[in-house]
Amino acid sequence: MAGLAAGTIAAENGLETLMLRTGQSATAYSSGAIDIIGYPPEGLALKEYLPDTEVPFKTPSDGLRAILTLFPFHPYGIIGFGADDDKVVESVIAHVKESISWLKERLAGSCAALIGGFERNIYPITVLGTTKPTCLIQETMWSETLNANPDNVLIFAGFRGHAEFNALSTTRAYLENQLRTGKPPHKVGHCVLEISPFGKPYNISSIELARHFDHDGSMVDLAAAIKKHVDQLGATHVAIPPVLGIEQALQNKAELQKELGVEVFELVALPPSVPGFRLQRAMDRTFKNAGGTLLIGHQARSAIFKNDMIESVVAQSPRREVTISPKTVILASGKFIGGGLEADENGIRETVLDLMPVTTNLHPAEEVRPVYHTNVFSLSPDGHAVLGAGLAVDMDFRPIDADGVERAKNLFCAGSILAKYNYSLEKSGLGVALSTGLAAGRNAARMAKEVS
Amino acid sequence: MTEEEAFEFVKNTLKEERITPYHKNEIEIVHSVEGCINCGLCINHCPVVAAVGVDRFTGPRSIAVELSRSPPEFWSTADKIYLCTGCGTCREVCPKNVNVPEVVNLVRARIFEHRPDLVPKGLHMVREIIVEHNLAFEPWEDPEEKVESRDVRLERLDIPYTEDIIKKNAEVLFYPGCQAEERAQEVREAAKVVLNYFDVDYTLLDDMSCCGLPSALMGDDETSQRLAGLLKEKVAGLGVKKVVTTCAGCTSNISDISLQDQWSIPVYHMVEYLAEEVGLDRLKQALGSSKEFSEVTVTVHDPCHLIRHTSRRTMQDAIEILKVISGVKVAISEAEDSCCGGGGLVAYHSKDVADSVVQENLISIDKTGAERLVAPCPLCTAQIEANLFKSGSSVEVDDLMVFIAQRLPKK
Repeated sequence: MAGLAAGTIAAENGLETLMLRTGQSATAYSSGAIDIIGYPPEGLALKEYLPDTEVPFKTPSDGLRAILTLFPFHPYGIIGFGADDDKVVESVIAHVKESISWLKERLAGSCAALIGGFERNIYPITVLGTTKPTCLIQETMWSETLNANPDNVLIFAGFRGHAEFNALSTTRAYLENQLRTGKPPHKVGHCVLEISPFGKPYNISSIELARHFDHDGSMVDLAAAIKKHVDQLGATHVAIPPVLGIEQALQNKAELQKELGVEVFELVALPPSVPGFRLQRAMDRTFKNAGGTLLIGHQARSAIFKNDMIESVVAQSPRREVTISPKTVILASGKFIGGGLEADENGIRETVLDLMPVTTNLHPAEEVRPVYHTNVFSLSPDGHAVLGAGLAVDMDFRPIDADGVERAKNLFCAGSILAKYNYSLEKSGLGVALSTGLAAGRNAARMAKEVS
Repeated sequence: MTEEEAFEFVKNTLKEERITPYHKNEIEIVHSVEGCINCGLCINHCPVVAAVGVDRFTGPRSIAVELSRSPPEFWSTADKIYLCTGCGTCREVCPKNVNVPEVVNLVRARIFEHRPDLVPKGLHMVREIIVEHNLAFEPWEDPEEKVESRDVRLERLDIPYTEDIIKKNAEVLFYPGCQAEERAQEVREAAKVVLNYFDVDYTLLDDMSCCGLPSALMGDDETSQRLAGLLKEKVAGLGVKKVVTTCAGCTSNISDISLQDQWSIPVYHMVEYLAEEVGLDRLKQALGSSKEFSEVTVTVHDPCHLIRHTSRRTMQDAIEILKVISGVKVAISEAEDSCCGGGGLVAYHSKDVADSVVQENLISIDKTGAERLVAPCPLCTAQIEANLFKSGSSVEVDDLMVFIAQRLPKK
């Protein structure tokens, strides 16, 4: 996301933009929802410092204000570094707001069209029956009225042989949560549908279902299969795993709603999800439509530095090596999943340019054993500090060394390669990627224009 | 027992257990499997899974996390492992660079060695041809018939015939590959026309032999290595400085073996050679002003062995070349993760799978509205052409070299 946002904004600014990527970016792993900020960075323990703020944050604005107060070096904070002291918070909020509008506008009408806004966090249901705070979700995941009426009846519909979703266990988990919070709907059921893309009711993957539902006429069978359960339970809403299609999901949702007369929406899935696939595809198209060139299958390996500048970048494909000489470089190589950082018992390394990584406390991380920065509980509200490791940057998002000096004047970075941001804990992944991507992209574009 | 005796003892034990120790150059491939985080991203992108589902072909993740981890039981994977087209999509999308296509070859090699009865019969037939003729296709029985077939094709396509050039110390060896040598002869001839037009100092092999890729894909490593060695000898004997081929599979394989066997000369696909060595300016000069052909909208097919086994830049070169040809409008197909289905020798034993894989391509080709499809690979061209014809499509298919040669001014 960070690379695509940065590349797109640079291309929209009239620059010749080339994106190097090995295959898919970490966006393809995401749930397809854009989280801005859901929780404070260092876990629920910090709630004591935020007694007046509800956690999870009710609005992105609440979350950003809390973060900027407690963690000024969080990537969101860096966005506001150029502003006057009393205007930092407002400038960051304005930037994030603008980033959301920018993305919604670019993805409108695409297979990953988004709904939601900066005014409030929304709580879509996941395939596990839990909810998560997020800012934007794909339109296929949206339900306008689910929580509005206590008499609503929700059915979780699964598919026989689709091991990635168990409608019964989701129903149980969701119902337990509803009983605990007392929020509607209170009546929840489940059903298992007999739809099989290849004629066998076993070994069915999400992507197969999504591809199947992209075919014309596939909604007729699905609607018929769901209808009997809707009638039987008197359901007002139907939740299905996010497999309604890759290109046709939104049209399929509309068709199903028309046929069934009830609201239908997709759940948020675990990675790698079909909505993540849609988001990656839609972002790739946005980048290309802006005039960018996407060179997939090439991994940036190293760069040649000259006079505080990157002169060229060397990239490797399976059987070729290419050397590119750009005016500016944006590093958006991700953290451990994206491959931007590597860690072993000897320490943490930045993989492309051998830059200095830092821990979440901004100490050099080259000789830090990751095991000492993990929590003994794999699932903990305090998360794992190692996931906050990354690069320290200056106010223009240029990576800096231990003396605080930028490694190269024309090198910028964005997204999860940045330090002090623990996306899985904060629920801020694609939000930080988007916001810092746009900021770094603009800075790089401005510099490229100055150089020429 | 001495150390040597102990080594021999262990080796014989392994043989009894039907285990072949990994070769030195396989260790990195085997280690790459350890990186698999079982995320399943590869399944979302695998064209064979998309075509036939995970029940028929369990997909790359399964190959990485299950099928590759028990050498004595490799034989039990035989119903799945031969369905991989080797397109390389899984390796490309994998965040941990797990080299699944090479793992497939490694497993196939073990099955070939220890349980040849489980290797599909179609592959045994190809092997017999390769072993007997050093070519992946059976040569024409009557050489005159081969010439007749070539001339008919050239006449239909309006491509002039030029004599073969075979000489020592030429700048370039033009290596057409087995398909263009024995089947799609028009591609071989078209490439000669292009090379002649741009005054490239080239030679052909006096005795064409396969690069060894089909043998490697079926698991016959011995033949594959023999053929690679044979080709190395011929190239060294000719004293050429560069190798240029029109086949995508040959490009990736010869690039690989030339590196492993230290040929010390660069290997190009023809589109790379034209873009990098001849130059777009000369191409534009030659192709940019012809009024002989009516305007045509063209789409391209990206051969897996070029984009995922070599470099996607090759197809950028191909598109740039097409753009300089007068009257040609390029419509880019949105087929992502596409494969013609012809790879991995799948069509030799599971034609239904190969044909299902190509269907995704056909839909995308149709959507472009193009009247013609070009592919810089004779194998992909044949596979797509046959399926488009069967589907009743009016889109015509050409190898890129044929398309270019037709439009070059006659010298």
